[in-house]
Amino acid sequence: MDWSVIAEYYPRLLDGAWTTLQLVVLSGVIGVILAVPMALARLSPNRWINIFPYTYIFFFRGTPLLIQVFLIYYGLSQFEVIRESILWPFLREPYWCAIITLALHTTAYIAEILRGAIQAIPKGEVEACRVMGMSKFTMYRRILLPRAFGIMLPAYGNEVILMLKGSALASTITLLDLTGMARTIIARTYTPEEIYIAAGVMYLVISWLFMIFFKMLDRVFNRHRLA
Amino acid sequence: MYQTPVALKLTDIHKRFGDLEVLKGISLTAHDGDVISILGSSGSGKSTLLRCINLLENPCQGSIAVNGETLHLQTRSDGALEAADEKQLAAIRSRLGFVFQSFNLWPHMTILENIMEAPMHVLKRSKRQVEELSLFLLERVGMADRAHYYPAQLSGGQQQRVAIARALAMEPRVMLFDEPTSALDPELVGEVLSVIRSLADEGRTMLIVTHEMKFAREVSDRIVFLHEGRVEEEGVPDEIFGSAQSARCREFLATAV
Repeated sequence: MDWSVIAEYYPRLLDGAWTTLQLVVLSGVIGVILAVPMALARLSPNRWINIFPYTYIFFFRGTPLLIQVFLIYYGLSQFEVIRESILWPFLREPYWCAIITLALHTTAYIAEILRGAIQAIPKGEVEACRVMGMSKFTMYRRILLPRAFGIMLPAYGNEVILMLKGSALASTITLLDLTGMARTIIARTYTPEEIYIAAGVMYLVISWLFMIFFKMLDRVFNRHRLA
Repeated sequence: MYQTPVALKLTDIHKRFGDLEVLKGISLTAHDGDVISILGSSGSGKSTLLRCINLLENPCQGSIAVNGETLHLQTRSDGALEAADEKQLAAIRSRLGFVFQSFNLWPHMTILENIMEAPMHVLKRSKRQVEELSLFLLERVGMADRAHYYPAQLSGGQQQRVAIARALAMEPRVMLFDEPTSALDPELVGEVLSVIRSLADEGRTMLIVTHEMKFAREVSDRIVFLHEGRVEEEGVPDEIFGSAQSARCREFLATAV
């Protein structure tokens, strides 16, 4: 074992870790925003409305993330319409393709988590909103979504950590995230053991940071349980 | 006898759950200041009746009017009636205070936030005005020192008193109580009943579904006894408790008291 390669290459690995962090945070934030209308549509009793989220979730949960990454990065460029569209400057970049794919993928999971959380709110609390004369919009904005967010936090934190590890697949489309960077360094130094250990430790540190972050969110959204 | 204006008028309310007809045509009128207790054995339809008033349950037939304003209803695909105008329903609901058997406070909000929520975001009153009223109401139900607690930190009786304050904060024309003490430990019933009694003394219009016979007799202007979805007997408390016409009503009161 030659630990000096870590001393030499750790700034590059940190660059990769920074890219990984961007992938997870950006896709996680986009995912949670898209998941709100998705979950609400999924809860609609109207078949014509809930068929869309149902199909979406069925597809994104039922196919491998790797295939989704390939479909977006390699697949979309096959179509001339897309190559000529104003989105092409984004869609030709592996960075944006990775973020779009991860966001679309995690949206499906977060939507299901959110739907479960909304359904877990006791019926009486919803009735308490209705008897006050609250409109549906006010009811969701003021009471149900904040309440559901508190309920879903542990599951959402878990999903973000899964996405942290899933983001390693971005390395397959030439992106130099933490995994991609590690592979590039190894191709040069032939020291897989040392570099993969260093990369693994960095993943651990990032997931530990996420755990701390979610613990803080829990203190805010679930104050009532700590009181 | 002088009669105050009609606060609430129910006409011929029917309600079916599948094949089971729970309410078979109930009419009831409450004038301003009336305290009406609705009694009956379980399954007689008294909670369902109360929940039909603000459309928590959708009746199949009948009409509902609050302060002379009739709720616009239309028939839903399954045959039940629903509000034809969501805005009107919301406005009417905001004039009916509803107190649940299981309190139903929002657990993630403090007591004060629970009370201030609807006046601020439904009635769009200013925060200062609502806060003042809320603290006054908390004082009234004896919970002023708990304003910044969360519901889970309170006993059942305390939570129910807060729920009453929350309903009062909307300044409703009629208060509806759905078995307000049935979920409470016996030693906590008294504190809630005394709050309700003080509201009655204040001249509020109230409909109370309850199993507390002694309380109903003392506090009510009128008693309505339901049996199998019909009004079996109706009258002033002394009449009902002293010499009910219906054998079923006499029997029920004899076993319940």
